[in-house]
Amino acid sequence: MASLIACPHCGPRPKEEFTIRGDAGIARPLPDAGEDEWHAYVYLRDNPRGRHKEHWHHTSGCRRWLVVERDTMTHAIYTVTDASAQGETA
Amino acid sequence: MVDFALLHRLALATAKSGSFGARTADGRIALTALPEGHVLQVLASPGHADIEQAVAKIGDGKPHAVRAYGPGQWFLVGDAPLSSSEIFAKASQLDGAGSVADQSHGRVRIEIAGTAVETVLAKGTAVDLALSQYPVGRSAMTLIGHISALITRTGPDSFELMVLRGFAESLWDELIEMSLEFGVDATAAN
Ligand SMILES: [Zn+2]
Repeated sequence: MASLIACPHCGPRPKEEFTIRGDAGIARPLPDAGEDEWHAYVYLRDNPRGRHKEHWHHTSGCRRWLVVERDTMTHAIYTVTDASAQGETA
Repeated sequence: MVDFALLHRLALATAKSGSFGARTADGRIALTALPEGHVLQVLASPGHADIEQAVAKIGDGKPHAVRAYGPGQWFLVGDAPLSSSEIFAKASQLDGAGSVADQSHGRVRIEIAGTAVETVLAKGTAVDLALSQYPVGRSAMTLIGHISALITRTGPDSFELMVLRGFAESLWDELIEMSLEFGVDATAAN
């Protein structure tokens, strides 16, 4: 797990200050989308190897939701952006 | 009409006081519980993240009274208690661009000072507190150990820590322990 996350608002902070929500690429289905689609949305996740975008909450800092793109194998961090930036929110 | 009077007890009234650790004369750490005056949390309304100037105007005018800790988020602090009508007057000056929540009962301020203060705090937080990176007046919300705290630099060798009331005494004890190698003089609230 990557140790230092460069929060766009707070600068580099240790991972202990963050809460990870998970995959940032999942779109919420429509209310009437049906049981299978809702089951997949709530319970089913890929377990990717390599680059992965996730929602991280800077719980013990600025309390903003961020999108962190990291490599699940090398732990490298590629980008950290505020989740409210254009096109970032799933 | 209230059924019973609420009794305000200072959060650090019974905290450890006195001198601890190394018996050196120079470079000691001074730990001081600050007056429980007012702590107001200001949140910008959606689309109004740029209200710094308006927020600065409703502070009490003393140095470091307005502390930014994230986009559209500030704490206003001061030694004087404020009535609810005084707080309401401040909120109305923001004219709907931000909201004000009274946190005076919920957060406590502690001053920590001494030439070794950066070394002491570095035991608890990963924020780079070097003067060149963290100038006087800068604030940051972070963790000190497992305790969430707002760190504000008030001078080259002094910081103010603001912590949730229920964690104040735990943080106080930890700060004493972190300062032992330099010697620490602690003055609890009175
Ligand atoms: Zn942050």
